[in-house]
Amino acid sequence: MSDRPVPPRQLWWLAAGFTVWCSALVALYAIHGIGCSFGWSADSLRLWLAAILLAHLTVLSWMWRDITSSGPPAGFGPTGAFLHWAVTATLIAALAATVITFVPPLLLATCI
Amino acid sequence: MSESAEQQSQAAPALRLHRELVAIWGTGPGLQRLAAVNHSIIGRRMMITSFVFFAIAGVLGMLTRVQLATPNGNFMDAETYNQVFTMHGSMMLFLFAIPMVESFAVYLTPKILGTRDFAFPRLTAYGYWCYLFGGTILTVALIAGVAPNSGWFMYTPLSSNIYTPGVNADVWLLGVTFVEISALSLAVEIVVSILKMRAPDMSLDRMPIFGWYILVTAMMMIVAFPPLILGSILLEVERAFGLPFFDPTRGGDALLWQHLFWLFGHPDVYIIFLPMAGVLSTIIPVFANRPLVGYRAIVVAIVALALLSFGIWVHHMFTVGIPHLALAFFSLGSAIVAVPTAVQIFAWLATLAHGRPRWDVPMLYIFGFFFIFVMGGLTGVMVAMVPFDWQAHDTYFVVAHMHYVVAGALAFPMLAGFYYWLPLLTGRAAVHRLAVPAFWLVFVGFNLTFFMMHLTGLLGMPRRIYTYQDDEGWNWLNLLSSVGGFVMTIGFALVVIDLVVQLRYGRRVRYNPWGSATLEWAMPIPPPPYAFASIPSLGPGSSQIASRDLALSLARGEGYLGFARNGWQETLGVHMTTGEPEQLIVLPQPTYLPLFTGIATAAAVLALLFKFYLLSLVAALATAGLFLLAAQRAGLARDYGPLPVGHGVSVPPHTEVAEAPAWLALICTLVADGTLFTSLLFGTFYLWIAAPNWSAVMAPAPSRMLVFVAVAALAVAAAAARGSMRAVAAGGKASGWMGLAVLALLAATAAAVGLIAGVLPHPREHALGATASALLSYVALHAGIGLLFLISNLLRLGAGFIAPRRVLDLRLTRLWLDYTLVTGVIAMGLVLTLPALVTVLARP
Repeated sequence: MSDRPVPPRQLWWLAAGFTVWCSALVALYAIHGIGCSFGWSADSLRLWLAAILLAHLTVLSWMWRDITSSGPPAGFGPTGAFLHWAVTATLIAALAATVITFVPPLLLATCI
Repeated sequence: MSESAEQQSQAAPALRLHRELVAIWGTGPGLQRLAAVNHSIIGRRMMITSFVFFAIAGVLGMLTRVQLATPNGNFMDAETYNQVFTMHGSMMLFLFAIPMVESFAVYLTPKILGTRDFAFPRLTAYGYWCYLFGGTILTVALIAGVAPNSGWFMYTPLSSNIYTPGVNADVWLLGVTFVEISALSLAVEIVVSILKMRAPDMSLDRMPIFGWYILVTAMMMIVAFPPLILGSILLEVERAFGLPFFDPTRGGDALLWQHLFWLFGHPDVYIIFLPMAGVLSTIIPVFANRPLVGYRAIVVAIVALALLSFGIWVHHMFTVGIPHLALAFFSLGSAIVAVPTAVQIFAWLATLAHGRPRWDVPMLYIFGFFFIFVMGGLTGVMVAMVPFDWQAHDTYFVVAHMHYVVAGALAFPMLAGFYYWLPLLTGRAAVHRLAVPAFWLVFVGFNLTFFMMHLTGLLGMPRRIYTYQDDEGWNWLNLLSSVGGFVMTIGFALVVIDLVVQLRYGRRVRYNPWGSATLEWAMPIPPPPYAFASIPSLGPGSSQIASRDLALSLARGEGYLGFARNGWQETLGVHMTTGEPEQLIVLPQPTYLPLFTGIATAAAVLALLFKFYLLSLVAALATAGLFLLAAQRAGLARDYGPLPVGHGVSVPPHTEVAEAPAWLALICTLVADGTLFTSLLFGTFYLWIAAPNWSAVMAPAPSRMLVFVAVAALAVAAAAARGSMRAVAAGGKASGWMGLAVLALLAATAAAVGLIAGVLPHPREHALGATASALLSYVALHAGIGLLFLISNLLRLGAGFIAPRRVLDLRLTRLWLDYTLVTGVIAMGLVLTLPALVTVLARP
């Protein structure tokens, strides 16, 4: 039985993990700028930042869990298996990058 | 005797096929060379042109070293020095580095992926002419003494009218933007070609690693260049018409320029590095005599590197007063970007360690790369740390870091690549007597020049100064740097002499001198205009794909499309992921249109430069007209149905399939366009948050009626585009729907222009009005371009290019109008919301 072609839209998933990382960066930088500009209290600004970060970590974790639990798609052959492995690896890398990049700064003074 | 007869009997069909294909694919002699659209010709021209600019920029670099060799230098005055160092940086980055990596991509990608040309050869040629003309404008300005003089990053307010009143900054803004049109057009071309035009059965998991590198790089270019294009447009508009986007006295902010510039500038480092990493990943396995270690991990590292590079632009702005917490995001991001880079470095080292390496000239340059790039990477991690950066910022330490990274990432792999692929380009093997001393002169000279700059930087020598006192303690370090610069230049001169000698005296080679496995060696050397006489197919489990047998088999026409038909330039389109053949792509033949379109575009740019705005508008319209003319000559004017392509396979021509290259090209274009639009939104919000004088400004009240008319008209146009598609698909007439769409777009354009005319505060008085005008102009421009789409549709409908089975043109128009509607709604919504942002959410 010949393999089914992997739908081209699956390629977008290669960029999905680090796109969420980019989204986290943009959202955190923007809210931080707005909070400092409008004189929000340090606690409330930190809470906002933590909530945004948590939301992005949740999305990444869900994506990782989703792709891991489903396993390599059946019937797509070596190309499907390759893309599944690559997408999983990018998701794990993006999750690690999100934690390393954005968690420690939240401990710093907010608007100095 | 019988063997000879057999060879002759095999050579005869190959020779006949060669002659037939050359007649179809060849470019004529003499002036007809200006009509060339073939990727091999354009790729070679780009290489030569970028080398010319490299030489000019190199001479400028030498002039700076002469000036700085001793204290109190009077070789140049301050103004000349400013022009020289600005042009050195601008030319190296915009006219050498980016075009050079593009030239590698243009020349090699189709060959390595096993296809005959790119998807849009006329666009390749147009991109080259834009590059040549844009670079020429900058060079002529240098000769005329009016070259840009505000640094290669053109920071405002130094580059604003008040501090740079002449045309110097305009030359940079217009010339570089012109060159970026070239880069963007080539990026779209490359993405589409890699995804749709590989050798049959070359699925993504079997694509040569070079293809992955170039694909990701081209995608990065599509997203990275628009912020700088927007910044250049806004700064030019500020300089020409007084709209104060970057003027803090009128609600603008000079730092907005830095954000827009570095949103491009940082990914640009990786745009330069990744193709060269692709060169390394291709060459190292050949000389290590084993396959590349960690193919899958490298693909993941490339993707990670590409996206991470977009999130660390602020590390160029650590000293501008951004709060520490935000700086920490970018500092940590800049540190972890070293991880995917290290994955590749270790994969290359592992390939060498587990193979049986042999030394040759390319390997010398690979050694140079490892040494220099790792040093540049390590100092990169140093300046990524905010406290260190605050000490080293704007000193020669940064100059040293930048040169180690760029030369390491670009120059050494580039020279490795040149020596590796020169037999392919020239048909001759290298002459090593000069190549080895040339390498050592370049390597030693480079380190002597730039290592010293780390020390002068740490001793406090600022960048961009044209001279210094003799009691600063920098004297002998600067002298050594200058001596090193000359040693390096002698090395590069030897490289050039070596290339000339190779061209004249090198031993002739016919097939694959390195024993490589990639497809560019499975063709006659140097390559004929059609590249492959027949297109190779990757059978299951094939690995050593560039064997001599394969080359001969392809030359005899035993692959796909091993014949000539209808005088068409034919190649295969494949499924994006699996590489299965799915369409026959018929490419356009040589034409002067790209040259004429490039000249018209250059005329528009030059007229802008000399402030002949009406003339510029006429030239811009001429450019649009030439694009329309090009569209009229594209495609096939009748249905053909599935056509045989060899090996018992039949596929329809690209005009009769849904996944034609043009569809993907428009998606890529809209991604670039959407990035520009997003950058404009970012600029608006940034000014609202960061710029002074926004809370005190009067609250504008745009006409809600005009906003409604504009949005409604865009919606009608999008709906009419759907109607025209349905009508044509059903065999009916679509001219009524198209007429409705034209009227709707005219109404939308008029409404947007009406809104611009009524913008308050006046666009020249405050950045609030300026940003509102920019948003509305974006809508009007896109509605206007939608009109061009419709005019093209009407003309092609009349000429028979659009039919029930050939509705690609109408699908493209629908997609454009959908995009225009969505961005129009967002832009109009923001224009309506701006007053609330200013008044309701006024900052304390």
